[in-house]
Amino acid sequence: MSIDLNTCTGCAACVVACTAENNVPVVGKKQVAKYHEMHWLRIDRYYAANRKDQFDDVNVLFQPMLCQHCDNAPCENVCPVAATNHSSEGLNQMTYNRCIGTRYCANNCPFKVRRFNWLDFTGADSFPDNQQPLIDEGGMDAIVMDMNDDLTRMVLNPDVTVRSRGVIEKCSFCVQRLQEGKLKAKKASRPLIDGEVKTACMQACPTDAIVFGNYNDKESRIYKIRKEEQTKRTFYALEAIHVLPNVNYLAKVRNTDRHVGVKEEEHDGGEAHEAKKEEKKEAVPSGH
Amino acid sequence: MGQVKKYIVGCFDDEKVLFPAVKKVRAAGYKIQDVYTPMPIHGLDHALGMRETSLHTAGFIYGITGTTTALTCMSWVFTSDWPLNIGGKPHLPLPAFIPITFELTVLFAAVGMVLTFCYLCQLAPFVKKHHFHERATDDLMVMVIECTERTNEEEVKAMLNSNGAVEVNVQEAPVGWWLGRYDRPSKLFKTREVAY
Amino acid sequence: MSLLKYESTLREPLVDGDYSVYREVTYGIGQWNLNKTIGWGWDITNFVWWVGIGHAGTLISAILLLFRQGWRTGVNRAAEAMTIFAVMCAGQFPIFHMGRVWDAFFVLPYANSRGPLWVNFASPLLWDVFAISTYFTVSLLFWYSGLIPDFATIRDRAKTKARKLWYGVVSFGWTGSTKHWQRHESLSLVLAGLSTPLVLSVHTIVSFDFATSVVPGWHTTIFPPYFVAGAIFSGFAMVQTLMLVTRKVMKLDDYITLGHIEAMNKVIVLTGSIVGIAYLTELFMAWYGGSKFEYDAFYKYRIAGPYGWSYWTMMTCNVISPQLFWSKKLRRNVAFTFIMSIVVNIGMWFERFVIIVTSVYRDYIPSSWSVYYRPSIWEVGFYLGTFGLFFTCYFLFSKFAPVIAIAEIKHVLKTSGESFKEKMDVIEKESVEHFAHGHAH
Repeated sequence: MSIDLNTCTGCAACVVACTAENNVPVVGKKQVAKYHEMHWLRIDRYYAANRKDQFDDVNVLFQPMLCQHCDNAPCENVCPVAATNHSSEGLNQMTYNRCIGTRYCANNCPFKVRRFNWLDFTGADSFPDNQQPLIDEGGMDAIVMDMNDDLTRMVLNPDVTVRSRGVIEKCSFCVQRLQEGKLKAKKASRPLIDGEVKTACMQACPTDAIVFGNYNDKESRIYKIRKEEQTKRTFYALEAIHVLPNVNYLAKVRNTDRHVGVKEEEHDGGEAHEAKKEEKKEAVPSGH
Repeated sequence: MGQVKKYIVGCFDDEKVLFPAVKKVRAAGYKIQDVYTPMPIHGLDHALGMRETSLHTAGFIYGITGTTTALTCMSWVFTSDWPLNIGGKPHLPLPAFIPITFELTVLFAAVGMVLTFCYLCQLAPFVKKHHFHERATDDLMVMVIECTERTNEEEVKAMLNSNGAVEVNVQEAPVGWWLGRYDRPSKLFKTREVAY
Repeated sequence: MSLLKYESTLREPLVDGDYSVYREVTYGIGQWNLNKTIGWGWDITNFVWWVGIGHAGTLISAILLLFRQGWRTGVNRAAEAMTIFAVMCAGQFPIFHMGRVWDAFFVLPYANSRGPLWVNFASPLLWDVFAISTYFTVSLLFWYSGLIPDFATIRDRAKTKARKLWYGVVSFGWTGSTKHWQRHESLSLVLAGLSTPLVLSVHTIVSFDFATSVVPGWHTTIFPPYFVAGAIFSGFAMVQTLMLVTRKVMKLDDYITLGHIEAMNKVIVLTGSIVGIAYLTELFMAWYGGSKFEYDAFYKYRIAGPYGWSYWTMMTCNVISPQLFWSKKLRRNVAFTFIMSIVVNIGMWFERFVIIVTSVYRDYIPSSWSVYYRPSIWEVGFYLGTFGLFFTCYFLFSKFAPVIAIAEIKHVLKTSGESFKEKMDVIEKESVEHFAHGHAH
């Protein structure tokens, strides 16, 4: 997957689409305040500013952060029950019914994209009535009870498991869509065409910042982006840890006629002006 | 309960007195069934002419069994039965196998040795044996000499007394072990009587 | 005189611990204050703390046996018992910190009809499963095989029928035969020889839970020796705590002497110094290593920042206070030793807390940094519950089993307890000149 930080506007449509597509539970305000939110995809914001004028003149960068599906995944190595492993296609798979919830994988993820079902957010538990007492005590919002209602449950995607309490979940590259696409292609006796399957985030993105595809297919967009079109802008998050992520980002390039975050010295004479003229054409990349 | 035999029992309270006594009794040709002591006494087993125990060899073998079991099972699981791609690690990650291999070696060796020890010494819950003196586990070293038809009891008793025994007596006791409770006395039968 | 009269006060934490665990299993771990960033807090801190305490018992029994240190016989039985109970308490945490405890058996590699689906043998948590269960089993076997002759002694001296019955059952029919002692010695020696590397390996494997991860502050190769030294350090401190109380209450001053206390304090100052050097090494490598994340983890978010207080508590308790034991006077002072042993245990708890929480609360990506973690009442309740479990078991042990290794002490003294006391009475009544004169020959 490739995410273009230039075109990303931080609108978070991808987050909404992912949450809807994958039956990600809504946990309510109180649980979010305890940092128990369940979103698989988040938009990180990075600010580029001069420290002294921190909030006067700030440029922001949006980076959607999701499971990087690392080839050398630190999360896979440490799961004691082999609930997470790598598929032959390069996806980091999560086996909900095997997970016993030790949370070692979540600790070990440097990107912190794994989410644990801390309480019974979905009503899927076999322990009856373990939501109401907590709501009565004030630990949880009543919103989690909404999903217990048959009509409300119809918003759920039937292709995706509803996770119970005590298991870890994370972005799966919408594996249900991949499987559906592969099956359709198999039935038609042809390989998967690039762009035929789109992850929910890719589908929802208004600026086409997210591109997903088969990197082994040399005709695919993802291959062209990484190898031909955007070689200078391609980077991987936290590359030095050597977890070999399968998600690359394309660095944001700002075309400004001044240094980002530095206030213009208005009463400064020609010197500063000339120096700035030289730097006029130089694009200042400010990606993280 | 099995066969009943006759024994002459001599009790000593100091190992400095015990060792020469053992030597003299053995030199005189009597068969020492055993010496019961409250604690292990260095050199007593050699003085009695016992062979070294091979329990540690058994322990070693159990340990090797543990190592082999661990390595074979893990290797088979990860390479042949269900090889998984876990973090891109090789299917035979030998360094990762080391901790479990070591633990199973120790576990097999320890459990095996303890069970073998209990088996050899005939130790188990509800096992009861004849105890020649209640202070044998407290502060007396109890030497038990087996009586044959040729044994002259008085001679043996005199010899034990002259060699520093604090207490000498003659007992008839069943051999071996049986299942029983220590709060009830065990009845002694000379022969097995069959009731019709 | 037994310690059992204090048991009722400890029943309360045990019951409160049960309730905390019941709530957590029924409603969820969300009741604890852990979150998406701080996945492990008090739960794993307590686990490592208890395991560390357990190691001293094995060290005293096994390693000192191999080094032929006769003085171990005064304290080894109680120390081994402490090990077993500490490991029992430790084991509660990895089990109940799981999100789905009822599926805990998934960690066992057994043939099943799901593939068969095995476990991930390359995972440090799985190594933990094997290590802790092996350690518990071997410690239990070592402790029990040493107890068999002692139970036989009690059985033969027992006056009541009930005692004769029960001690008869647990003594397995031991007679004291020389052949059996020969085997017993061989068994003890081999078990000691096995337990020594076992102790070292178990805490090394526990340290691997952290050392093999990528989290800055966890990912360091100094952890194995550092953890092992720390385990011995905290374990000896706990032994001191228990021994000083036991010896006072049960009037065992003649058997657990000032010499024993001093020797254990020497071990405490040694291992405390090793732990101190490890802390300094970590700091040095964080500075020298060049990894910005590791540098920040130590210098910004550990020694300073919201958790700075916990780091400096740890340093004071673990590094500065044991150095006081260089003074012989303090080493032989019972009250001071007792206070120090509590201080060391607190310090070691903070060490595990600092390692776990302060590394994980601010790791690589700032958007994930989370709130200041405070334990919830359920986590505290669970921890107190394990204290209840530990002390209940220890008190039951001290009531029903011999606290001192009877046969081993006789072996070392070459005489029985009563004779030893008689001899000591005689010696104590003699004048100094007479004693010196007598021993000169």
